[in-house]
Amino acid sequence: MPVETRALVTRVLIVVGCLLLIPVTAVLTAAVKQRFSDGPNRLFSSGPLVEGELYSGPEPDWSFVDDEDIQTIELQLLDPPRARRIWTTEHDGKLYVWSGYMGTLVGRLWKRWPIQAERDGRAVLRIDGRRYERQLVRIESGEILDGITGAIRDKYPSQLTREGVESGDSWLFEALPRSESAQ
Amino acid sequence: MWTPDNADRAMQYFYWCIGAALVVTVLAVLFVPGVDDFVERTFQGYVGRAAR
Repeated sequence: MPVETRALVTRVLIVVGCLLLIPVTAVLTAAVKQRFSDGPNRLFSSGPLVEGELYSGPEPDWSFVDDEDIQTIELQLLDPPRARRIWTTEHDGKLYVWSGYMGTLVGRLWKRWPIQAERDGRAVLRIDGRRYERQLVRIESGEILDGITGAIRDKYPSQLTREGVESGDSWLFEALPRSESAQ
Repeated sequence: MWTPDNADRAMQYFYWCIGAALVVTVLAVLFVPGVDDFVERTFQGYVGRAAR
């Protein structure tokens, strides 16, 4: 390749790289800004959930999470202490959360909380401004998945099925009361 | 006329412009209401498509 052509190609690559720096910087800045917030917005995780009354008392009637107003809730693990926005549903009086996209490489890079939750399920959920201490326990198989995935399809325009959970494409957790799961 | 000297000068201007654009980008995301949400929403769209 002639020297002039090589210099031109190098220069074009530099220009393209510099232009790409702008959106990359915007994304990184937004992610860092979110990390210092009390609660996630969309995609980026935030710092710990601080505001909101910490619920104590009998097990709540979770049916309120199936209201149209509650499309997502905030979930913070104790380790690492970061919060993200996730989907939720209630079935048979119990609370469930889940993550899709677990069957692809990009999905597993993006959705790291299910892997972290499987390792240490201690979590804080914030729903409607109130915080609940829970223990996430993964459900990988069983007939109960038919009912839970049905409840999810009723609430969301989702195609989630029992087979999808059992194959590992989606990871589903029951959010148990922390004291109960510790026994 | 396009000479190597002109090209070098143009690249210098370009680097200055990119530097200024990066500073403006950071400040806009940090302080202009709605910009961080727009960035996050757009990025979420790309990530969501790539993860399927």
